[in-house]
Amino acid sequence: MNKLMIATLLLGLSTVTQAGDKIAGEKKAAEKACFSCHGKDYKSPIDPTYPILAGQHEDYLLATLKQYKRANTAEKTAALTRTNAIMGGQAAGLSTKDMEDIAAYLASLPGPLAIQPESRLIKTK
Amino acid sequence: MMRRMTTAVLLLGALSAIPTQAQTEIKGQISTGAEKNAMCIGCHGIAGYQVIFPEQYRVPMISGQSEKYIYNALQAYKKSERKHPTMRAIAVSLSDQDMADLAAFYAHNGKTATSATTPK
Repeated sequence: MNKLMIATLLLGLSTVTQAGDKIAGEKKAAEKACFSCHGKDYKSPIDPTYPILAGQHEDYLLATLKQYKRANTAEKTAALTRTNAIMGGQAAGLSTKDMEDIAAYLASLPGPLAIQPESRLIKTK
Repeated sequence: MMRRMTTAVLLLGALSAIPTQAQTEIKGQISTGAEKNAMCIGCHGIAGYQVIFPEQYRVPMISGQSEKYIYNALQAYKKSERKHPTMRAIAVSLSDQDMADLAAFYAHNGKTATSATTPK
């Protein structure tokens, strides 16, 4: 019974867990010089208009990279695209595996990003 | 000579107008932003919340994100430069001041709260 529960739990988790390789992602991110804008720790961007990436959800980061790449390729008609002169160029040279790895690496880093649940129905004060 | 001087004066005037414009940039109020986020919390305030249309992924964590980045993202959604249909629908209803207030609120939201949750 316990084994079944664990298996079910793992199955459930796998819907949000990606297959990215953190170590390969770290190498690829360094190679693409992502830090030159997003900061060496990926939580201190050099300009306030650039996002903090460290600790962001892996699947969101992956979706975003794919959207940047899609904007410059034949896939342009697909659902979502995101246009940015710098990121479009950066993502253009990445394979799906590269994007998965980079997303896994960035998501694994410690950062200030958080979810702050709040309910308008429950008074906390 | 006179015309050249007039041009120079005009140019000077035009140049000095640039920094003035930058100074009048909208300033976000954290406390006001906290009252305007009713449309945000239904997704961004729920741990692990996933958007499923048109792609499936967890919505980004925005508490603690760069203020200016959040402001620009909202503006980009309003102008359709960023495409997410739900975010666009929300952004078109926001004024520049609303966006600045929400950006200020969320940029500082992670820094003051004690019960931050970051599920992986």
